[in-house]
Parts: sequence; C-alpha cells; structure tokens
Amino acid sequence: MRGLALLAGAALALSACGEKPADPSTQVGANPQLPKLNQYLLPPMKLAPVGSWGNNTPAVAPGLKIAALATGFQHPRQLYVLPNGDVLVVESSGPPEPIHRPKDFIIGLIQGHAGAGAKGAQRITLLRDTNGDGKPDVRSVFLENLVSPFGVALVGHDLYVANTDAVVRYPYAGGETRITAPGTKLTDLPAGPIDHHWTKSMVASRDGSKLYVGVGSNSNITENGMEAERERAAVWEIDRATGAHRLFATGIRNPTGLDWEPASGQLWAVANERDEIGPNLVPDYLTSVKDGAFYGWPFSYYGQHIDPRVKPQRLDLVKKAIPPDYALSSHVAPLGVVFNTGAGLPQYRGGAFIGEHGSWDRSPMNGYKVVYVPFSGGRPAGKAQDVVTGFIDAAGKARGRPVGVAIDRTGALLVADDLGNTVWRVTAGR
Amino acid sequence: MPLPPEHRHPRSTAKIFGHPIHPMLVPIPITCFILTLLTDIVYAETYDQQWATASSWLLAFGLVVALFAIITGMTDFVGDKRVRNIRAAWLHGIGNGVASILAIINVFVHSRDGYTSVVPTGLTLSILTVLIMAVTAWLGSTLVYRHGVGVAN
Repeated sequence: MRGLALLAGAALALSACGEKPADPSTQVGANPQLPKLNQYLLPPMKLAPVGSWGNNTPAVAPGLKIAALATGFQHPRQLYVLPNGDVLVVESSGPPEPIHRPKDFIIGLIQGHAGAGAKGAQRITLLRDTNGDGKPDVRSVFLENLVSPFGVALVGHDLYVANTDAVVRYPYAGGETRITAPGTKLTDLPAGPIDHHWTKSMVASRDGSKLYVGVGSNSNITENGMEAERERAAVWEIDRATGAHRLFATGIRNPTGLDWEPASGQLWAVANERDEIGPNLVPDYLTSVKDGAFYGWPFSYYGQHIDPRVKPQRLDLVKKAIPPDYALSSHVAPLGVVFNTGAGLPQYRGGAFIGEHGSWDRSPMNGYKVVYVPFSGGRPAGKAQDVVTGFIDAAGKARGRPVGVAIDRTGALLVADDLGNTVWRVTAGR
Repeated sequence: MPLPPEHRHPRSTAKIFGHPIHPMLVPIPITCFILTLLTDIVYAETYDQQWATASSWLLAFGLVVALFAIITGMTDFVGDKRVRNIRAAWLHGIGNGVASILAIINVFVHSRDGYTSVVPTGLTLSILTVLIMAVTAWLGSTLVYRHGVGVAN
C-alpha cells in the first residue's frame, strides 16, 4: 500500500513538470517572489538545440545598432579592454568533468545536445580596431596554452590572467599584440580533480594593490562532499605584492562576474544560484559584495531560506546569511557584468550590463539576453531592461548565448557569444 | 528411457549451453539492492556523500542487470505453459515487477543532489525493494527446488 502511495506521489511529481511557473518579472529586483521549494524525480528541463546566426544578428533595444566585431572564435567567454583600446577575447572552456554518478553521464549528453560541451581554444585573442569603426584591423593570438582562463586584469605593466587553477602574471609594456614571456604564478586557486564551477572572474582594486577573484562552488549543492568546497563559493581578496589571500565574502555559490560600481566605488558581483528545487528557485542575482559577509550557500538561499538538501545543517551560519541586493530571476545564468562609465551609450549610463547565458532547468527558458540594470546613487534603481535579445530563433533554436560583457574605447558595448563564436558590438543608432 | 511427459520438469526457455540464464542473473540485482540499502543507511548516519554516490551506482547497475533478468524470466514464463500454471510463478513475476518499478523511481530519487537524494524517500524505497525481493526470491527458489522449473530430466 505504501508502495502504491509512493507511485502516486511519483506520478504527481512528474506531472508537476508541466506546470507553468510564475513570470520571471516577479523575480526581478530587490524583493523577488520565492515559491515553495519542490523536489523532483526529474526536474523541469528545457534546452535549446543549436542553431546558427547565418546572416542574422541579435536584436537590440530601440536607439541601438549591433554588428559583429569579429567571428570565428573558439568558445569566447570573457572580454577585457586594454588602455590602448585593444580588446582581449578569452576563448576558454572548463576541464573535463569526472563522471561521479550515473547522473553526470546523462547530464553530459543533455548539455552536449545544447552545444555546452564545445571546446574552448584556451587562449586569449587580441583585436585592434585602430580607427574605431567596428572592423578590427589586427587580430592576433595574444596568449596561448592557458588553463581554462576566464578573468583578466591589468595593473600598470602587470597583466593578470585568472586560469581555473591559478592567477598568473605576465609582463605587458603596452601595445604588444602577443606575449611570449612565461607567466609567473601569483596564487593557486581551487581547481581539480573535481572543478565543477571552473570560471575564475577577476578585477583589480582601484589602487591596484589587490585582486578580487570569484571562485565558484564545486557542486550544485554539496553533492561532491564538503571537502571539495574548501575556499570555494567565495570572493577571494589577493594581495598583489605577496600573493596571500583571504576570503573577502563567502556563501556566494558561483560569482561569475565582478566589477566596481562607479558612484560608490563598491565591489559588485553577479552570481548563479542553486538548481533543481523548482523553475523559480533560486533567483540568480546581482549584489554588492560586502567585506566579511556570508550570502548563504550552501546552507540557505536568498537570506535565510534553509535548503533541506544540506546536511549537517549549520543554523549558526544561516543566522548570519544576508540576502543579495537585486534578483535577476531564476536560472538566467548571469556570466558577465560591467558598469557603463563610458559616453557611447548615453541612455545606459552608470548602471550594469549583464550577460545572461540562459537557463537549462526551467521551462519556459529564461535569460538568453543581455540586460541593463539602472543604478542611482550607488544602488539599483528600477527594473532590468532588455538590451540585446534574439539569441533564440523563431524555431526555438539557440543561435548564440551571451557571456562576458565589456565597454570598448569608444563606449560601445561588447558581448562575447560562446555558442555563435562571435563578439558583438552594440553602438548608439541614428 | 525418457520420462513420460507428465513427469518431466517444466522447461526453461532462455538457456545457454543447457543452463537456464535467469537464475544466474538474479543474484546480481538482489545483491546490488541489498547493498544500496546498506549504503543508504550509512549515508543517513554519516552524511558522507560517498555513500550516497555508492548507492546511485549500485541502483543503476542493479537495474541494468535486472532488465536482463526480467527478459529471461519472462521468456521462461511465456515459453512453457507448465510454468504459467504455477501460482508462485505469477507472484514471483508480479512481485519483482513492483520491486523493479520501485527501484526505477529510486534511481530518480537518488539522482537528486544532497541529503534528500536518500532521506527519507530514497531510504524508504530501498527498504521496500529489499523486503519485496526477500519474498520474491523465496518464491523463485520455490519454482526451482519444489517445482523443478528448468531442472534437467
């Protein structure tokens, strides 16, 4: 009889996949609606099969134009603009994941279907557009044989690359199109043998004395064991002179993008929250990163909402957990953030552009666009606006997926598209 | 001199070199599902994820072999009317069908992340699967040792 009851329960849990979640707009801003937590036999999933851009481009908000700055990359993930205007394109992918459980094998198949298994070139390509017309006249391999690189930061003549396993320093005099000097390791970062959230985002402090590195968790919700989470799900502060580090903020599941808010000078991050407890749980977010703060992962989400999947539970830590500042809605997968301090896009000044790579465990899909969160007085002020869309075509195929965002020398917005293997450039239209 | 038909043992249809295949396969899922229960209990007591991971592999492997055990068992059941005439054969088949469905659900439960991949639903299903299999395994041996299914004449 108990077996029959369980079977009925299973059928109910499966049928819950067909339910339509509340609109993502209910989860954008300071106080997102959080539904009751659900646990599934098969969590809701929807992935877009891979399409292609052909002669199309993404769509942009009124008053903007978009064109490809360059194409033909191998999995471009991050962008960094050097002081002379050269654009660095980080072409990268994560290390192969060990198959730990039967589930990992299945997920590998599903992600491969959506093109997420593409191999990155593990290099940085330089683009130079001397006259700023959006057509680069120099394209050169700037740095190669890197180890799943992601973050880049220049301080003076020191160029730092955040590989998945270490921050490495290279000499950069200014104007080179290629660096051949061997790098010098500044600090090891948590990496293999399991290296689930492998992207190490990075910014330098304004005075150049510190580097801040976002280190993602090694699991969805500690299923690889707590030992695998040492010094992860945190923003590291690394002393540039000594390489010593401390955990600046913790409990941020996967801080994939870091930047300085221009009005307050505070550090902000975008982060990817946990999966498999519902299409509207947990919202990914944009938040200021406060020194010493704990943001909940893994024990709780969005402040002090306890996650029953974590044992042993740490109520002492849950009590300290603070909610992030601004929800972006669930599973949008923000992978890049940049505050717009340039003059090129005047209607978007002072706020944050965010590249939303797009959901996999939600139906209908969410994200797959670049949004802008307006700021005023150092705080988010208003709803996120769609800036670049059209990554999913009419047939439901993904033509591209946005990742890193940057502002170029002319003030245009650059967007790395790791599925379309393109860097897009958004300028003010006529 | 061959036995008259009414004295011959019910025949096994799925055979290899004259040996019935089904009885060679069944110990594997039985062992896997008993071990799943054990690793589930250890996980529930220790919270050490390695034990939950062991459970997921044991369940998955047990089910793959169970699939072949079901195919060969069904072949024997369908292949000889004298097998179908035994009440224990029906109960054995239906019971194992239920146990297999529970184990399939359990694979999905164990594919969750963290504590709730085991406690409480996964552990409950593991207990039920083993309890049902204890009865069906008894019935299966009844088919061989009492009714002589597949035994050479």
